[in-house]
Parts: sequence; C-alpha cells; structure tokens
Amino acid sequence: MSSGSPSSGSAPSSPSGPSTPPTDQIARRKGSGHTGLYVAIAVIVVLVVVLGGAYATGVLKFASKSTTSCAAPATSVVPANIATSTPAAAAPAVQPAGVTGQIISGAGSTLVNPLMLEWSLEYTNNTVEYSSVGSGAGIADITDKTQDFGASDAPMTPTQQAAITPKNSIDTIPESAGAAVPIYNLPTIAAPLKFTGQILAAIYLGDITNWNNTALQLVNPGVVLPNACIIVVHRSDGSGTTFVFTSFLSKENATWNNTIGYATSVNWPVGIGSKGNSGVTTTVKSTVDAIGYVDINYALTNAVAFGAVQNPKGNFVLANLANIASAIDDSNLHFPAANASWYNVSMLNAPGAEDYPLATLTYVFVYQNESAAGYMSTTVAGALVDFLHWIVTVGQSYSAELYYVPLPAGVVSSDQATINSIVL
Amino acid sequence: MSAANPFPLSSSRPRKHAPKWADLTFALLTGLGAALVMVLLAAFIVVLFIGAKATVELFGFRFLTNDVWISASTNPHIPGNIYGIVPFAVGTLLTSAIALLLAIPLSLGAAIFLTQQAPVRLRGPVGQLIELLAAIPSIIYGFWGLVVLAPIMRYEIEPALQSWLYWTGWFNGPTTGVDVLTASVILAVMVIPTITAISRDAIAAVPIHQKEAALSLGATDWEVTRNAVIPYARGGVFAGIILGLGRALGETMAVTLTIGNKNAIPTSLFSQGQTIASLLANQFAERSGPLELSALMEAGLILLLITLAINVGGRMILSRLQRGQGVGRE
Repeated sequence: MSSGSPSSGSAPSSPSGPSTPPTDQIARRKGSGHTGLYVAIAVIVVLVVVLGGAYATGVLKFASKSTTSCAAPATSVVPANIATSTPAAAAPAVQPAGVTGQIISGAGSTLVNPLMLEWSLEYTNNTVEYSSVGSGAGIADITDKTQDFGASDAPMTPTQQAAITPKNSIDTIPESAGAAVPIYNLPTIAAPLKFTGQILAAIYLGDITNWNNTALQLVNPGVVLPNACIIVVHRSDGSGTTFVFTSFLSKENATWNNTIGYATSVNWPVGIGSKGNSGVTTTVKSTVDAIGYVDINYALTNAVAFGAVQNPKGNFVLANLANIASAIDDSNLHFPAANASWYNVSMLNAPGAEDYPLATLTYVFVYQNESAAGYMSTTVAGALVDFLHWIVTVGQSYSAELYYVPLPAGVVSSDQATINSIVL
Repeated sequence: MSAANPFPLSSSRPRKHAPKWADLTFALLTGLGAALVMVLLAAFIVVLFIGAKATVELFGFRFLTNDVWISASTNPHIPGNIYGIVPFAVGTLLTSAIALLLAIPLSLGAAIFLTQQAPVRLRGPVGQLIELLAAIPSIIYGFWGLVVLAPIMRYEIEPALQSWLYWTGWFNGPTTGVDVLTASVILAVMVIPTITAISRDAIAAVPIHQKEAALSLGATDWEVTRNAVIPYARGGVFAGIILGLGRALGETMAVTLTIGNKNAIPTSLFSQGQTIASLLANQFAERSGPLELSALMEAGLILLLITLAINVGGRMILSRLQRGQGVGRE
C-alpha cells in the first residue's frame, strides 16, 4: 500500500495503520545514534594494539611500582661463560650383526633424552621409540612391564626393587653420564657465579631469599649481586636430576638431610615446579632472578648461564665434560652385580682436585631374563640386546657433541658383560 | 502417483501403520548409543572407586582434611605416604572462582554488545572471533601464560595490585608471575568464549516484544537490558556460567604450566598452588607406589564428584530460574 513516504525513501514497512509517517514508529530516546560508540570502541582497540605492540617491541616500558625488594631487570647481557667442547667426529657406524627391523620402546629420564633421540636416529638396525617422561616414570614403567627398557638417572631404591617381579631380575646398566648444574638468570652478571653446597641448600630451603646475601657475596668477591628476590625453580615430576641434586644437598646440609632428604621427588619447601629438564630450563630462561638445576647438556644447548660448585677439595669447579669424566674415574666405582641394588653407587663429591661434585651416571633398566619376565617376544628381546651393545660402544661416540660424557672403558666392559648375560 | 516413495518400508503392502519392527530397531539402535554413554560414565566412577579403595581404607575421612601430599620416602627421618586433598581442592575452587569473577563481566558485556548494540554486519565476525578463542589448544594457553603473561604479571600487574591492595592480606609475598593469580587469569580467558557464546544465544532468544515493551515505556538501552532482557535470559546465562565453570575445574595443561605446582594451600594470590587436575597430570606417571596411585584415584574421584555436584546443583537452580519464564509461551 505505501511504497514509503517521500521523506524516507526506504523506510521499513510498519504493519500498523494506514500511511504511517515515520514519526509514529517507536521513537527511542537516543542521542546522536551509535556512531559515537563505534568510534570509541575503534579508538580503544587501536590504542590497545598500538600500546601492546610498543610494549612488546620494548619501545614503551612501564615503571614498576614494587613494594618488595625484587628489582626490575636491567638490559640483558649475554653471559660469556658457556664452555663448549669441540665435537668429536662421529665414528663410522659399524653395526654389530643382530636382529633387525623390530620396534623397541623405552621411557624415562629427561636428562638422557637428547642423546636417546640421537641414538634412535643413528641406530638403524631397529626402530627405537623413547618417551621422555622423567626418571620416576621410567622406573614405574619398567616395573609395570609397559616398556622394553626404562631409563633413569637415579638407581632403583630398595622399595622399588622389591616391587619387581620376579625378584632381583632387573639389570642396571649405566649407558651415559652427566651432571646437575645450578642454572640462573641474572642478566647483569657476566662471569659464572660460585656456589657452595651449603648456599644451594639454604636457597632451596628458603633460608636465603635475596641474591644480595652475605654468604653468596663471600664466595663471589668483587661481583655485584643484584638486590632481588631469588625465584627458586625445581622439578614438579619424578626426576633423576632431582635425585642427584637432593643427594648432594643432603650430604652438604644436615637440616636438608633431616627434613627433606633425597629422592626422585621430594616435598620442596619453596619454589616453582616445572615439568622435565626442559621445563626448568624454560622457566629459568624466561624468569629473571630465577635459579634452577638441570643436566649440563640442557644448560649448554640452551645457552643458559650456570654456576661453579665447590668440591670437597675446596675448588670451585665449573662443570665441563672433562671434569665430569675425571669425577667418574676418581670415584673408583665398584659396581655391584648387575641385578643387585645400585642404590649406593654414587659419584657425588668425587675426591679429585678438579672433579665436579655433582656428576651422575644415567642408567638403563632391563629384565635379566626376558622370557621369564614374560612380556617381550624373543625377537624384540634380541633387538633390545643388539641396541644395548650398540649404545655402549658405537653410541658413545655421539656423546661429546651433545655434551654428554662418554663412558670410561672399564664401565663399558662391565656393561658388555652384563648385556651378554641377558637371557632372551 | 509420484515416482519416489519416501516410505519404502511401508509400501510393500498397503498398511495403515508403519511396520513395528522398523520402529523397534530404530529405538534399539539409538537406545544402544545412550546406554553405551551411560555405561562409560558408570565405568569411570566404578574404576575410580575401586582404585581408591586402598586410600579410603587407610585414611578414611582424613583424606578430606589432610593438607599435605608426601610421596613414599626412602629417608627414615621423613614420614612418607601421607596424602590429603585439601590443598588441591582449595586450589581448584580458588582458581575457578577467580576465573569466573574475571570472566563473567567480560562475557556478559560481550554477549550484550553482540546482541543489542553492535551493528548487524559486525555481529557475525566479532562473535566468531570470540569463539575462536575456544579453538586454541590449552597447551598453547599454558605456554603463552608462562612466556608472555607471567613476566607481565610479575613486573607490571602484580606490583601494582600489591601496592593498592596489600591491606586485604591476599596480595602478599614475592611476585614471581607463576602463581595462582596468573593461572586464574588464563582460566578466565579460556572460559570467556564458552560463556559468551551461550549467553549470546540466550539473550538473542529473548522475544522482541519484551524489548519493544520496555522501549515503548521510554527506557534507555541500559534499562531495557537490565529490566527486560537479562531477567528473561538469566536461565541461559546461568547455564553458560555453569559450563564455563565445568571447563575451569577440569583444565589441566594451562594450569600446570602457570600455577607453580606447589602441593600446599596457597596463602595469598601470589603464592604457588596446585589444582586436582594439575596434580594428576604431574604425579600420575611416576607415583611412588600403589598407595600413591590409589590416592591419585581418590583425588580424581573427588574432582569428578565436585563436577557432578556443580552440574546437578546448576541444573536445579536453572529450573528454578526458568520457572515462570514464559519460555515458549508466545
């Protein structure tokens, strides 16, 4: 009926009465319409984007109104203490003849994960699948017989060994060595800090809370320590690196020994928990004033600053492959029988003058009698034995370039004897 | 007659009704689907009950009051195998509550804007952008929280909060950026798209004559929304909030990267804490023995019961809210 009144060319047709002028439509009490609102929102969005971009690119910084003594970070200085070792040329892969084409699965230690990855690439006889889930999980998995081998930096505790069925049937085979190093994120400090076991224990107990404390200053004369709260980072999952670190702290500090103790997982009094060696590295790298502990290969690969630790001879040793290797040699390790308890095998506080005090072997657990264990076929067991032979011989040549310590000859021959005694 | 007969089963012989077996089979097949889902739910609960038996026998109700979680220990000085749910229940409820507190105003505002204010052409794209937030995997949220949000919280937001609000006693302690507050903020961001989507649908379903009636009385936009739209849509909005809460309660990866993983009751918003879901993620793979496994099962069971209780309670409140709603009464 109405094609729209002349004043409003395309007015919406209103269903009410004859020839409705627009003014009879429901008139809303409004101002100038919604354009103002849209302009305001667009301005806000643009502002946020611009400010966010400026902040992210570092052009704009807010003043931090801190009421604690934790200071805002200064401009970052790349630490110049990363000790690198020249990579050894990889030995030509002469594979011992054996079972081929099988799939071997293992899980456990994150410490050895980079090396395991390299081995799974270079070992072509069979396929190796390794899950880096933490030493605690590695021990649990081999106990539950859900993996062909378990990897851990911590030997099994007597309780864990008692849980194995059949009794005393797990062989402990050291396949590499590393060390726990204290990493930290202090952009203003270029040279490596020096730590003692007592200082580290006090930091992890929560007794020392500020970087600018007397004890640390005493062992680091001439270093300007920042006046900032120490942000402690530890592992949230079961970890062989935790086992090494807490064992060391237990040796060095009586309070730690009596209240916290050492294990793959302890009740940390303070600090942020992160998952895996990689998690601790990420957290420390992205949090200024943080301190953590990881294996040396993570510290070197990710270029995180780490400190020197005082050894029993009183020297502050900055970990590198050489002094970890000499710690292994000087520890004069007397290995127990392969299927006995390795709980007391320790390379902590090695006696040499230049030995690094936090060295550790890392172990592989396999069943001594695979058919008696009853979950692995003979072919896979044969493949597993082939793999084990490979990693303690040819595999060791890949260690140095990934910042792992190759096994000394004595350990290799003892391992070979153990591997040869595995019943398929 | 027309060529294609849409009811071939009925056409072989002239019938008055559809063949009984056809309907029966259809009912059985669909019933099978429903039955399987219910069996799965029952299986979850039964498995958790059986797994938790050892801890229930050992601890009884003390599990609900213990506030430490200590794994089996090899050190004779240190008691081991003491488990309790209190720190994790507190952490779960605290992070979810703060997440909702932060998310509800933003989501409601977004939903109202999308349905009432925004120009029609913008509603689709903006709505989809918000829903895109729900598509981001939670591990990405966790990583973003750890690497991007935690430093911002640590250097800008938490010191500011601390200087303004220290008198409440909830903002004490050193600011590390990895704490209960950061985890809550991440949860809020994850929960916003859920609440917004459902609230938007609920508000859009408000009949137009409600709004027209209010407008005809001379109400402003705000008065229309507050008096005519929200009361009508409150059932749907509440349902959205319950769904968001459900997501926040069970969120694992984003929380475990940003909450600090400390098995103790958080004493302030800046302290590290732990939620039940994050505890399970951290401890399950390498529990120290069968007792800890059983304790973890019991923790999972308690989380399941909390979620069920909130869903059932939410449903009851929902039915009260929607009573006298006039839904469907046009």
